[in-house]
Amino acid sequence: MKNTKKRPENKNHYVERFTKGWAIYIKNPMGKAGLIILLVFMLMAIASFFVPLLGPVYDPMTGADPNITYSTGPSFQHWLGTDFIGRDLFVQLLEGAKVAFIVGLSCAFISVVLGTAIGMISGYAGGIIDTLLMRVADIFMVLPSLVILLILASLWELSIWVIIFIIAIMRWPSVSRIIRSQTLSLKSRPFIEASRVAGASNFRIIFKHIMPNVLPLAFLYMTFRVTSAILVEAALSFLGFGDPGQVSWGMMLQWVWSSGHMFQAPYWLLPPGICISLLTLSFYMLGRAMDEVLDPRLRKEGEGE
Amino acid sequence: MKTKKFIFNKLIEITILFFIILTILFFLFRAAPGDPITRMVDPNLTPEDIQHLIAQMGLDQPAWKQYIIYIKNFFTGNLGHSFHYGAPVSSIILNRMPCTILLFTTSTLLAAFVGVFLGKIAAWKKGSRLDNFLSIGALLCHTLFIPWFALLVLWILAYKVGWFPLGGIISPELWIRDTSIFIKVLDVLHHMFLPLLTLFIIHLGSYLLLMRSSMLGVIKEEYIITARAKGLSNKVIRDKHAARNAALPVITSVGLSLAFSINGGALTEQIFTWPGIGRELIFAVSNNDYPLAQACFLLITAVVLIANLIVDLLYAYMDPRIKY
Repeated sequence: MKNTKKRPENKNHYVERFTKGWAIYIKNPMGKAGLIILLVFMLMAIASFFVPLLGPVYDPMTGADPNITYSTGPSFQHWLGTDFIGRDLFVQLLEGAKVAFIVGLSCAFISVVLGTAIGMISGYAGGIIDTLLMRVADIFMVLPSLVILLILASLWELSIWVIIFIIAIMRWPSVSRIIRSQTLSLKSRPFIEASRVAGASNFRIIFKHIMPNVLPLAFLYMTFRVTSAILVEAALSFLGFGDPGQVSWGMMLQWVWSSGHMFQAPYWLLPPGICISLLTLSFYMLGRAMDEVLDPRLRKEGEGE
Repeated sequence: MKTKKFIFNKLIEITILFFIILTILFFLFRAAPGDPITRMVDPNLTPEDIQHLIAQMGLDQPAWKQYIIYIKNFFTGNLGHSFHYGAPVSSIILNRMPCTILLFTTSTLLAAFVGVFLGKIAAWKKGSRLDNFLSIGALLCHTLFIPWFALLVLWILAYKVGWFPLGGIISPELWIRDTSIFIKVLDVLHHMFLPLLTLFIIHLGSYLLLMRSSMLGVIKEEYIITARAKGLSNKVIRDKHAARNAALPVITSVGLSLAFSINGGALTEQIFTWPGIGRELIFAVSNNDYPLAQACFLLITAVVLIANLIVDLLYAYMDPRIKY
């Protein structure tokens, strides 16, 4: 614990901290498994950029195979089979991986940046600003995000980026609560007092001294946000309110369900669901393993620091 | 006395919050593109008909007047008429409520009890094979994609094996005939099994994980060591000393995860065609039935707010150290 309290001195300190954290991380079987699954999905997402180059038949949205007019099972030409208008399911699955990464990472990034900023301001400023911000956080915290998205989707047609932004807006409060309490405990530490006496502005104290200390925690929360963002977007697409111009795993499930193929086409029903569950699982495992790096109390006895 | 004041303050807070949400909702529907008439009715109406409808719905009034009418109507219990059903929204909602309450409370309570029980055992035997099995299983449950899992359950248990019905809450042919109440109850339970199983499995994971980590924290406390030193049996220490305190955070999480459970509940209801509020909301949203969608949303909001208050109070009741 004592080491982490030390103020970061220079770039080398970060490198040292990273390698030390990495050593602890990689020892954790959960972290290792999560990382491996994640790498597979990353490869899938990268592959999705190259697949359409194979020809117009392999476009996830418009690439219907002219020879196929109904849903077919796995074959040499279409590894996972095709949907009811002859689109390749494997290509759609790859495209879904890309969308899931975009949705998960950007949602997490926006909500964590927002949550960290608000949490730091709230904790550092205190008083009426703190109360006000935390009340707003309360409102967002209790509302079910999927229900809100459904209501909004009934009024406007939401594109994928709008959906991402709304999910991010719904998810900052839990981050900002944790960052706030961390900021509160940092605020009373001597080094903050010292820099204030030395004449540092509030702005400088927040960004130079408080932010480096709360960032690891914020980063940890990012992995958990990724999980929930992917699940909410997939659920929305599944219900038929996703971005109609964008193939995603939730959309694939929506198609298999609404076209009445769910009992006939396991090759179509199974892959998207397995992918969503595995990807969220891997991010979750990543988060848990990182939790252990950041919080020494969680480590097994005997390993020590 | 202090508890009373706390409840009073909280109630005021909740009312204000609810009003803010109500107001946001009103302006949200106002800000949507196009006017409600063109969004709701068929194009065959003559201009006179449309004029009549607009006047009837009060849409020719200025916005602030509409807002006052909206609030007044809300307090007199008049939530408007559903575009689709033509019936008052409040009666539709009252009709759907029992189904949702039945499914939701049963699954939450079952999952919480079993989760606490299994989490307790897993933590007590930390590192054993049983613990690993339970933890990994819980992790898998926790990250499952709900609609997909529901479809899988439906596909295997209802379609392939055929043990359970594909959806709905009753078999109508049973209810038309004069059957005993016992058979009717059995019929509902038969229909409820699959959605219940889905929600149970999904919630079980998070309760188990939470109880396990909470229990691991409690086991290290000094009073557990004292209990051991007194020579109490393992079972007594685990159940009476450790588990009771460890279960507290699980109770708060029931309140905090309510938003998440509502998402899951709506999806489950939709897939198993369970006639509850969640399914009604999705139906209303898909069919541009705005009064119904608004009412479902407000109901869900109210439930969430009140549930959070109850959880706060329950927490104070269970843990006497907390004073408000």
